Amino acid sequence: MQEKESFAYDPKVLSRISALKIRALNLVEGLLSGNHRSRHKGSSVEFAEYKDYSPGDEIRHIDWKVVGKTDKYHVKQFEQSTNLKCTILLDASGSMGYVSPNETGMSKMDYARTLVASLSCLLLKQFDAVGLTLFNDQVIQHIPPRSKTSHLQHILHGLCAIEPHGITRIDQVVESLVERLQGRSMLVLVSDLLAKEDDIYKDLKLIASRGLEVVLFHILHPDEVSLPFEGDFIFESLEDDPDIGLDPQDIREEYQNMVRRQIESYKKQCLGLGVDYVFLETTTPLDQALSYYLLKRQSLSKA
Amino acid sequence: MNLNFLSPIYLLGLLGIAVPILIHLLTRRQQKRLRFSAVYLLLQSQKRSIKRSAPNRLLLLVIRCLAIALLSLALAHPLFSFGRAADLIPAKPSAHVFILDDSYSMALRSDDETLYDKAVKAVLNPIRKIPAGSVYSVVLASSPARVLQQWTEDASLAEKILKASKPSFQTTNIGQAMTEAIELLQSVPQKEKRIHVFTDLDKNGWEKKDFTLDEKKHSYAVKIIDFSHLNTGLNRAAVKNVEVSQEFLTNSRIVRVKSKVINLYHDSAINRLTVALAVNGKNRSEGAVSLAPNAVEEKEFTFPVTASEPVNGTIEIADDSLPLDNQRFFSYQPDQKIQVLVVDGDPKTVAHQRETFYLENALSPLAAALSHIEPTISTLEQLEARDLFDFSVVILCNVSDLPFDYEIQLEKYVMQGGALFITLGDQVDPKYYNQKLGNLLPATIESLQQVGRQDEPFRLQLQKSEHPVLKIFTGKALEEMKSIRVHSLYRVEPRENRKFTVPLWFANKYPALVESDFGKGKVLLYATSIDRDWNDFPIQPTFLPWVQRWVKYAARGLESIQRQDLLVGEPFVWRDDFAATLLFVKSPGGKITQLVSSGGEALYKETLRPGVYNLYRAAGEAREKPESAEPAPETVVKLPENALPAGAFTVNVDTKESIAGKISEEEIKKLLPNMAVEISSGGVSGEAVAASEGLPLATPFLLLVAGMLFWEGWVVRRE
Repeated sequence: MQEKESFAYDPKVLSRISALKIRALNLVEGLLSGNHRSRHKGSSVEFAEYKDYSPGDEIRHIDWKVVGKTDKYHVKQFEQSTNLKCTILLDASGSMGYVSPNETGMSKMDYARTLVASLSCLLLKQFDAVGLTLFNDQVIQHIPPRSKTSHLQHILHGLCAIEPHGITRIDQVVESLVERLQGRSMLVLVSDLLAKEDDIYKDLKLIASRGLEVVLFHILHPDEVSLPFEGDFIFESLEDDPDIGLDPQDIREEYQNMVRRQIESYKKQCLGLGVDYVFLETTTPLDQALSYYLLKRQSLSKA
Repeated sequence: MNLNFLSPIYLLGLLGIAVPILIHLLTRRQQKRLRFSAVYLLLQSQKRSIKRSAPNRLLLLVIRCLAIALLSLALAHPLFSFGRAADLIPAKPSAHVFILDDSYSMALRSDDETLYDKAVKAVLNPIRKIPAGSVYSVVLASSPARVLQQWTEDASLAEKILKASKPSFQTTNIGQAMTEAIELLQSVPQKEKRIHVFTDLDKNGWEKKDFTLDEKKHSYAVKIIDFSHLNTGLNRAAVKNVEVSQEFLTNSRIVRVKSKVINLYHDSAINRLTVALAVNGKNRSEGAVSLAPNAVEEKEFTFPVTASEPVNGTIEIADDSLPLDNQRFFSYQPDQKIQVLVVDGDPKTVAHQRETFYLENALSPLAAALSHIEPTISTLEQLEARDLFDFSVVILCNVSDLPFDYEIQLEKYVMQGGALFITLGDQVDPKYYNQKLGNLLPATIESLQQVGRQDEPFRLQLQKSEHPVLKIFTGKALEEMKSIRVHSLYRVEPRENRKFTVPLWFANKYPALVESDFGKGKVLLYATSIDRDWNDFPIQPTFLPWVQRWVKYAARGLESIQRQDLLVGEPFVWRDDFAATLLFVKSPGGKITQLVSSGGEALYKETLRPGVYNLYRAAGEAREKPESAEPAPETVVKLPENALPAGAFTVNVDTKESIAGKISEEEIKKLLPNMAVEISSGGVSGEAVAASEGLPLATPFLLLVAGMLFWEGWVVRRE
């Protein structure tokens, strides 16, 4: 009820939703042209390959024609025909709310919102189920996966109604969520991974161990990568760190190195865990991100 | 613990700290605030980063401020000590006598205040902290020592009195002050009794004769707080002495002023020290002397005087920290000779046969300067050409009679203050004297009394006399005078209703000398001759002082008051005949005091300021000493209109106080054998600290400044 009210009456949220929807649809429409139709023509049970029979395989899947020809038992394997369940985890902690003082393009949270909306849109168009979980140090809002087209509206509302706040604790959120996620579903984590007390690697390992397909979108603002500020600054934390006054010039090199090392380390760890790691600066065009997702989805459906 | 500064003025340098702070604030860039996401990463990189500009700037600021602060502290000569002012006063009920040296040497200026100011602060400090049940009193130690504040518990009393007080012009007398202090301490019940002495330890104030009380009976803790270390080398020189004399070589009157200047340094000479002479408030002359260490040099000035006005002047040397001993006052009445007109009634061509031969030689034996008497010999014929008022004394020697109506002139002269001295002889016409000079002479000249050469002569009746003239003739002089042989004399008889005295008699009860007052003047009648015709007195050795004293007495010049040069605190004695005279003294501050005379003496004790004190006389009913009470001089607002100047005397500081030097601890302990003496040095802040514990911190502070500058350079270079 609460959700509906805010959904119905907050004009700011409404306008943001419509803008986000338009942005997402534009992106998705462009991407899917040509590719889209063919994926929904075939039957839900599609032959993929043969496999040597081994005890325990279902006998009805033995291809008797092949047995006749080769005198060997081969079992037919089929592509998964069920709809994909995708849960998108969006980091809504304070650090995601960073707005650059000389902002020209999209802010970090807007970028993340658009990404999530586009992904949702894309998935729903493919009749996959999409859910959204917003979190900071705990789950703020959980929208369970649905495949109805109208579900997009709920997701958009969830995205727009939230303002980033609080500290990031991915581990706690993952712990509470991972039980609910079914195997063979997909998890998309969208975050800046600026969590000083979190061991991201551990979290990812936990998710990966559940057999989930994980895509990690690591979003950072270029300011956060290169620290381009000039002059004396007092940096106030968007989370709970103490203020610090310094001349960014003094630590720029060290900072850049540190961020670079961190990204490298995520990349390496994710590779080891079979997690797809996508690093995005907010200046990166979003279609790149989406096309990456499509590639990923394709490979998944082929598996 | 205590930190004192010898030159606290340099502490103003601490304000210099503002300079680097201002520079820091002005050059500081505007800090912008930014809400940022990856603050913890910034913190981590800051920890790892070698460059830390902002803290360095702060560090530089701190170093620079410290360097400036330390430099100004070092310049202020800090002394660190563990002594506390509170130590002077124990917490339990106790009695304290604070002896404060207010002698003039304490007026020495060090920094911008005098030692006395510092000592007052040092006295007030413990007084303010005096606990309940304890009492204190304050004794001033300049001679004569006196109690400034009787026993009290109230700290504000001393504060009020002491803050208004100034150092005196007197010398120190710690001995007297000790006696006062011990007397005070005997009168209080408290068990714990202490004496605190705040002094510059001038040796002059510690004379053994002043320590009169039997200290063996009284054993108190004596804490001496010494301020002499603040004096080192500041008092350079002093004028020790000034003598004034007059020269008669030329016709004009030349006054010669001789001054003696002493170098108070023991180890260094003073080159070309300016010595200046000022007369009657105007600078007259200036010279310079160069002084070897501890040497005394004489500087002489001469200047002509035109009028016979009194000369009041000063000799002053170039300024140092103690101005009081740089100046010395003198007063001189030029032409102090008593002008005497001697009328010779029996002039002869042979000098020694003249009536006035012995008298003249007695009055000015070698040179006029010695006797201050200048006789002018005149014959009767020359008499009318003389103006009597040019002379103080007229002596008629064996004058038969005077020119017509001359007695009227004489009467007028004596009436207005002149002195007439008549000696008789064979030329004298008693009839003339008895008729014409009846107003002047209180006695008539009767018959001539003579004895033969072989007969027993007339003798003077000689005994010890209180008469101002005769009182010096005692003992041997008196015996000598007994041998005077008088062959001839006039018997004199008193006139009726006339006041006179006979200070000198013959053995046969004939008056030898009759003295009487006439108007303001004096008339003396000597019943025999002043030459050898009638007696052999003129060839006796006592003749000279006898004659001179009578002349000076008659001229009121006996023990000339103008020549008195006193030291501060010495009483001035004015000896004269004060009949029908009011006496006034005007002090250098302008205060007029009417004196009380008693027995021909008036005493003035308030000579507490150096300077020229002017004397005045006025006709009027003299205040005589009341029988019972002590004569009390009275302050008057204005001099009476008929008051006439009667001379001056000068009061100067006693340079002993400047010259004496510092007394050592051993000497003090010898003077106070049974007392627990403890000497500490007085700090600038007014706190008393032990000298042995005062650690000078100037050098370590300067080293720290050097260290700071080195560090600053290193930090700047590393930037």
